[in-house]
Amino acid sequence: MVKFYRRDDGTYVLDVRGYTCPYPVIFTRKALSRIEPGGLLEVVIDNPPSCETVPDAAKSEGHDVLGVEQRGQGVWIIRVRKRGG
Amino acid sequence: MNWSYIQYLLDTLRKVVTRPWPEWLAGLAFGLVNILFFVVAFKPFTIYTGIYVWGSTLKDLIAGSGLDNAYNVFTNFTSVSDLGLVAGAFIAALLAGEYRIRSASTGDYLHALTGGFIMALGVALAWGCNWGGFLSAITALSLHGYAMLPGLIVGGFLGSRYLEWRAERMLRAIELPPLEEAVAPRPPRKGIVSVGGVISSLIITLAFTGGIAAYALGGGRLLAVYALGLTVGFIIQRSRFCFATAFRDLLGGPEMARSIRLQVGIAIAMAVGATGVALLKYMGFVDPEAYVKYVGISNFLGGILFGFGMVIAGSCASGMLWRIGEGHLKALAALLGAVLTYPFAKDYLRPVVLELLGGYKVPLTVLGGYGGALALVYLTAIAWATFVLYLAYRRGVKIYG
Repeated sequence: MVKFYRRDDGTYVLDVRGYTCPYPVIFTRKALSRIEPGGLLEVVIDNPPSCETVPDAAKSEGHDVLGVEQRGQGVWIIRVRKRGG
Repeated sequence: MNWSYIQYLLDTLRKVVTRPWPEWLAGLAFGLVNILFFVVAFKPFTIYTGIYVWGSTLKDLIAGSGLDNAYNVFTNFTSVSDLGLVAGAFIAALLAGEYRIRSASTGDYLHALTGGFIMALGVALAWGCNWGGFLSAITALSLHGYAMLPGLIVGGFLGSRYLEWRAERMLRAIELPPLEEAVAPRPPRKGIVSVGGVISSLIITLAFTGGIAAYALGGGRLLAVYALGLTVGFIIQRSRFCFATAFRDLLGGPEMARSIRLQVGIAIAMAVGATGVALLKYMGFVDPEAYVKYVGISNFLGGILFGFGMVIAGSCASGMLWRIGEGHLKALAALLGAVLTYPFAKDYLRPVVLELLGGYKVPLTVLGGYGGALALVYLTAIAWATFVLYLAYRRGVKIYG
């Protein structure tokens, strides 16, 4: 199941590990639409193609992609700041 | 040669194997592979005959009826290249740091299993999958490849509507932010990971054993077939050449840019491949009728089923094999659905459908020999690429960043 929650530091975390295309992109878009402008979202993925498609989708909607970081074998964290704010 | 140069070389190599490869380059490579495949195996690169061999072998093992000599996992060309594909994708994923046993939710496993089932029905009707029924069919100058394409577009679109609906429903179930419930994610279900992980590892081991067995049983020719499968697996993993994405998001979807890039790659693959295959057939190196299959309304219907099935399953024929190499257990569920269904679909459903709907074997050469056939494939490739680029343009999608 998708996990979407807010950490104590205010960062939103969307954990879509176990999901392949196109779910990571769909979930990222919907999650971004739910957080406040300027809010920080960390998307946790384990589907390699999503390393490009999730940032591309976020950028195409005008959000700031702060980086894609590999966390261990086959897991990545994509950090996105929602536009505005 | 000094040490820092070796380091420089290794560093460059590391970058090459860790960064994704462009889709057009992969398309070019697949075109060349299809030509080479004809040279060593007298057929184009396809997937599902291998699935048939695996499923039939499994059926015989379960029935205890003794193995049929008509098909052998380690000597059938398609089965051997399928094993090579899994091994190649595994090597690529491992080098890129992308290999990992990945479990999925129960709902996703069920979707993959169902998708595999529907795909197998589609393959029976279309005389092949996205390779054998479409890309490799056009490459082999057979009209049946053309008939599947509109079906794939329709099926892919229907699949994308379904996925969008499912994602919406899943997200509605998650409310934001019930912070008291927003605890750390639950730990993964270890049991499923380990059982699936063992099966996944066994299949990958089998994929590597396949190379040795193929060489032992069939010598250089089979080893070459295996090596071509390995090459496709490596390239397909690096370029993320996913036909499910290509048809799912073609008409506007979450990953439309990638879908368009993949379609351009497909157009390049068919033009390059057909050039070589036309030459091989023209020179009499392979039978002009080689891989010319029945075409009729069933190919279109098969395309719809296959297109829908691959989107539901999350991977096409080559996609599920590559993702098995990458460690996705969901792809294993799709393979299971396909392996359990396809032998029956091919042996029992296909003859009935052919009887009911009819079909003719039409080589593209009917339109003015090999020159005419090649001209048709080139025009198709150019028209297709132009069309998909227009779709991207109309939506304002920048496909190369």
